[in-house]
Amino acid sequence: MIELNKVSKRFNEALAVNDISLRVEKGSFCALVGTSGCGKSTTLRMINRLIPHSDGEILIDGQPIEQLDPVKLRRRIGYVIQSTGLFPHWSVARNIALVPRLLKWPAEKIDARVEELMALLGLPFDEFVGKYPHQLSGGQAQRVGVARALAADPDILLMDEPFGALDPLTRDKLQEELARLQARLHKTVVFVTHDMDEALKLADHLVVMREGRIVQQGSPLTLLRHPADPFVESLLGGLERGLKQAGLTRVKEHMTSLGPQVPAHSRIPGDFTLRQGLSMMLRDHTERLTVVDASDVPIGELSLRRLIKESQSERGTPRAG
Amino acid sequence: MVIVNAGERHPSPNVVLIALGIVMLCAVWLLGVVSVAPNRIVPGTSYPLVAALGMPGALLVTLLLGAMTALALRPARIHYLAMLLLLVMVLLLMPFGLMVAGHFLIDPALPQARLGLGAAYWTLSFVLLLYLVELRLRLAIKRLPTALLLVAVALAWWLCARLWLDDLALVQEFQARRGAFFSAVGQHVLLVGVAVGSSLLLGLALALAMHRFHRLRKAGFALLNFLQTIPSLALFGLLLAPLAWLGANVAWLGNLGVSGIGNTPALIALIAYSLLPIVRNTFIALQQVRPDTLEAATAMGMRGHQRFWQVRFPLALPVLIEGVRITTVQAVGLTAVAALIGAGGLGTFIFQGLGQAAMDMVLLGALPIVAMALIADAALGALADITRHGGAS
Repeated sequence: MIELNKVSKRFNEALAVNDISLRVEKGSFCALVGTSGCGKSTTLRMINRLIPHSDGEILIDGQPIEQLDPVKLRRRIGYVIQSTGLFPHWSVARNIALVPRLLKWPAEKIDARVEELMALLGLPFDEFVGKYPHQLSGGQAQRVGVARALAADPDILLMDEPFGALDPLTRDKLQEELARLQARLHKTVVFVTHDMDEALKLADHLVVMREGRIVQQGSPLTLLRHPADPFVESLLGGLERGLKQAGLTRVKEHMTSLGPQVPAHSRIPGDFTLRQGLSMMLRDHTERLTVVDASDVPIGELSLRRLIKESQSERGTPRAG
Repeated sequence: MVIVNAGERHPSPNVVLIALGIVMLCAVWLLGVVSVAPNRIVPGTSYPLVAALGMPGALLVTLLLGAMTALALRPARIHYLAMLLLLVMVLLLMPFGLMVAGHFLIDPALPQARLGLGAAYWTLSFVLLLYLVELRLRLAIKRLPTALLLVAVALAWWLCARLWLDDLALVQEFQARRGAFFSAVGQHVLLVGVAVGSSLLLGLALALAMHRFHRLRKAGFALLNFLQTIPSLALFGLLLAPLAWLGANVAWLGNLGVSGIGNTPALIALIAYSLLPIVRNTFIALQQVRPDTLEAATAMGMRGHQRFWQVRFPLALPVLIEGVRITTVQAVGLTAVAALIGAGGLGTFIFQGLGQAAMDMVLLGALPIVAMALIADAALGALADITRHGGAS
């Protein structure tokens, strides 16, 4: 668990981070989002003491970080950056083995771990083990970067725009794989990005920052439904907010049981997002879809009219409460 | 750039190689190939290609060079390889040409008569080297194989010279001074080795200090730049008086052999000149390591010394070795000048030969210096390539 209490950072006179408080629960995925220069990277780098904080306190598992040896602290924390920071003179295997070697693991244990991590990140062992970073594509290099960060099995993972330099297709793929990894490994992740879609896709806790301050934090759905101010709203995509929200919900959650009507011709698996469902309605010129399970058996129905009614009633709730 | 791109699509003639080929053809036909002198001092008479090799030999040379030029008209990898083969053949045939010329032109009744290398011969050697450089680029041959090729050719020449080329003036000069020659080579290598070795140690220490303490940088580079601007002869002269005084008045320095002339001032000057390239390259090498790589090292939990020795230093090594390469080549040349103050080495032959107007003796000093510089260049260049792990820059 990571806690920041009233943390500030001054570079000379300028306040880069201004009195922020934040709590990242164990196993949760927290995304710091904001425009460049908002202090999100600085915040991240204060957690592993690459930058010392000026005021306030930062606790990891309840311990103030300035009481810990910075080197030992960093070996407990995985770190991934946009440019990968791989060592160009080391092979893929040696790069991944960095932290275990620093921790003086026995050689067999390191070899086994490297092989395990390469399999985990979809890097065929025989093909990649002896390659050097300049022989890798951007996506492959970042997989190695993530493997290196996970090598010593740290509880905490800090990621600074890890997919920012990749092409959209590779980025989507790596985002999906990161989500899959997180579902399996349950690391405590702090993830910096300026890409709101990426944050919405991955995070369970969103922190929007602006000019060194936290403007709003909460779950993605909370922020989408109730953005605190026009800045957060514009970051969330303004008019496209509805669609983004739909992108976070599964079709299953909104389907109704099959009625007496003739089932709709278009079919959609229940695990797809509502956004995909809406897209399908537009494509097929229909306002009803048949929801099917994994073996293509109809299990319900998605109706545009029902959806609109639901969101009308939702909209009413906060005013009443 | 445009020419190169166009060349890749429609192989257009390689203008460089054609020009070099024409230069070589003109040289062998228009300039003297060899010269013959009745003794060591009298200037020789120059002879053209046909006189030196006879018509069949002249035609063979023309055919080989002509083929190289013609192949350059339609460049393709296979043609470049053929050109390389022809080039090696020409290089290997050159000493045999001298043998034939000796057979035709030297009168056995004159035991002092000797064969000199003519203008065409030198031009041909030089242009062939340029030709090799261009071929190397086109065929993307690394430094090491190129160096090995040249070493093989040099060995073949050496063997020919030892076995059959007694008439060659250079060989006669060598045979007259065999012992002196080898000790001069040894002395030269020793001076260069000690000078580069010490300046490497000193330079590393200086570069590390400047890397670490920002304030030292300006002063350090100012001093080194200043040292580099003093002409070498002037530096030798400047060192003469203080070192002579030290040698005469400080007993233990005198016992060590410190004096105004000889090895000590030569080494001091060589080290002074070698420091700038070594310090500059080492310093730049340490600074050019990408900051995000270093930050990653810190963030992964490396301690300061681990980060330096496992990341910064190995990544700086190729550039550092390039610095040693430049320094060594420079020191090989400068050591020749140090012969003037009695430091010994191959420069001795150059200055003696100049004094006696015996050009072949000058060559006896100069050619090994050139060879030494080329070998040092190739060997250290190859070492720099090897330290670039996985070919990363």
